[in-house]
Amino acid sequence: MTSPDSTLPASPLGPNAGRSTTHFFLSNEFGLILLIVIFAMIFGATAQGFLSKFNLFTLGRNSAVNIMIGLSMMTVIVTGGLNLAVGAMGVSVAMTCGWLIEGVGVPWPLAILGALAFGAALGWINGAMVVKTGLHSFIITLATMSIFFGAMIFLTRAESFRELPSAFSTFGRMKFGGYLSPLLLVTLVVALLLAWLYRRTLTGREMLAAGASPAAAELSGIRVDRIITLCHMLSGVLAGLAALMLVARNGAAIPSMAGQLGQDWLLPAFLGPVLGGTLLQGGKVSVLGTVLGAFLVTMLSSGLLMLQVGAFWVQTFLGLMLLVAVLLDKARRSYLARRNLA
Amino acid sequence: MKTYIHAITMAGLFGTAAATSALAADDSRFGLIPGGPHPYFSAWEQAGADAARDYGLSASEYKVPQKWELSQQNQLLESLLSQGYNGFLIFPGDPVGAVSTAEEISGYGAPIIAGAGCYKDPSPAAFCLGTDTGNSAYLGAKELIKAMGDGQKRIAHFTGFLVDPNTQLRIDAVNRAAEEEGATVVQVIADIDAPEPAEEKINAYLAANAGDVDGIITTAWVPAVVAANALRKMGDSGIKMVGIDHDEVVLQAIKDGVVDGTMLQNPYGQGYVGTFALDKLRSGCTVKDDAPFGSNALTDKFIDSGTAYVDASSADTYLDAMRAETDRLLADFEEKYLNCN
Repeated sequence: MTSPDSTLPASPLGPNAGRSTTHFFLSNEFGLILLIVIFAMIFGATAQGFLSKFNLFTLGRNSAVNIMIGLSMMTVIVTGGLNLAVGAMGVSVAMTCGWLIEGVGVPWPLAILGALAFGAALGWINGAMVVKTGLHSFIITLATMSIFFGAMIFLTRAESFRELPSAFSTFGRMKFGGYLSPLLLVTLVVALLLAWLYRRTLTGREMLAAGASPAAAELSGIRVDRIITLCHMLSGVLAGLAALMLVARNGAAIPSMAGQLGQDWLLPAFLGPVLGGTLLQGGKVSVLGTVLGAFLVTMLSSGLLMLQVGAFWVQTFLGLMLLVAVLLDKARRSYLARRNLA
Repeated sequence: MKTYIHAITMAGLFGTAAATSALAADDSRFGLIPGGPHPYFSAWEQAGADAARDYGLSASEYKVPQKWELSQQNQLLESLLSQGYNGFLIFPGDPVGAVSTAEEISGYGAPIIAGAGCYKDPSPAAFCLGTDTGNSAYLGAKELIKAMGDGQKRIAHFTGFLVDPNTQLRIDAVNRAAEEEGATVVQVIADIDAPEPAEEKINAYLAANAGDVDGIITTAWVPAVVAANALRKMGDSGIKMVGIDHDEVVLQAIKDGVVDGTMLQNPYGQGYVGTFALDKLRSGCTVKDDAPFGSNALTDKFIDSGTAYVDASSADTYLDAMRAETDRLLADFEEKYLNCN
């Protein structure tokens, strides 16, 4: 996918090879892989049915959505911003897709494209307002979260779109080899494209530079305003993709699919990127880390549920995970700084 | 290192695979699953335990999704199926969105009954066992209007979440009853079946408009509790109220004369009869083609689990009323709805 730190590409065969290896073992990605392996073994040995084909299938399918939500947040965090409206935008895209199919009669492939374009448009609104007002995206997206969701509820009268083509639910329930969901493949393809964007394209580099130091980026000729708007548009598209995967999962576009105001997406949206090592202050991104972080969270939820840990403790545990991840990351960065490895 | 990690992973994964049998169960093990945490459903826990004991089942357990979110409910159902649960009484997190998961579950041979709320047809649910919410709200409104007596009849209606399909049915039913009796619904406040919004909106509304309201009807649990507390604090306001469900706050307010009555639902009966029916379905019974189902906006396979009006004269014996409804339902349930030959 991408290196642990997309701002500092490593050279494994060069003189820094040993240092890179140390770097990797101290990275979030390695820690996450280790945790995933350890928890998979614990749950496999103790939770009845954890390794059943059906559970592996549902684990992959739920991960697909959570990873996509995390990637959506990641694309804004990279600029040092936040997108609290990620859930509201996602639901709005899903409802738009439902309306285009049921209300307008647009063929479903075109409806998907139209809905994703609408997601980009919502992202553009967020980005443009952040740029024009100079306010932090926290404030702007907090406001647009209510605006987007409220408008969606008003326009749809909170009615679901339920007569969608069977292709949606067929895709959502499809299994490869009895346990692999195609939704997970879609997410992994998107993750690869994002990794390519940040590592191999000028636009991706400009996004990282704009996040690391907007003033320096501006001085070096990068149009930071345009880049920030672009990141929000990308976030809107990815939030829409996550919502459309839920539409495939449920066979319907439902206004409550992300909870009241879309707030139910906020925890998974933050957990993936933060666990994965994406810096909240921007300038550094880890697509692989986000994928692993979101997968770990989904696996923990699944495993804890199967161990019959009280359902309410699962949420507590996930909150603790977020806190521990932030503290560990702080400790890791301190260690690297002390050893001159950063 | 990579090889070592790979070896450990594979050993962990495959070494335990043989010991797990996700979808095979020797006995009836049912899950009673609400849409999320809500006091209405707490009676399902005792009902499931009682029915499991009475009918000799392995288990009939009440499991609550951590939030009112369809994806949380779906994940809980998926995990229970993987653990070997083989029958489910479910309050659908969404009447349509929940159908997909229900189809997956029933594809593994686990019977499903919708409880307290219905799936939209077509669905794999054998039937829907719930309160006729529209009728309950209609009867409650009629009782309120009767309690208001002569004079002006201005009603405020406090109700549940707009995303709950029952909410619109309740709003329509109260409006219909008011129209029939020459009353006016002056305010509908929805989306408040949770403590914070209910406290904020009901108290603010009554603080500003108590003089313009003659009666209050609540058609969701939390607004009933909050409105009862508000009326108690206001003292002799002259406002009549009919609530819903059997929260202790509401029942005490009825006994104290603060609230006129409440429309009782029968969640215990849903849990008990639902478990009984799941066991029958799992034992080979089928649903009769000519079963006398009712219908509502979502399904043509609806069974009314019962509703009753409780006032000061019956507030001490409301449990008897619930049991009577359950007994009535159970008495000829098999004969009316199932083929068990």
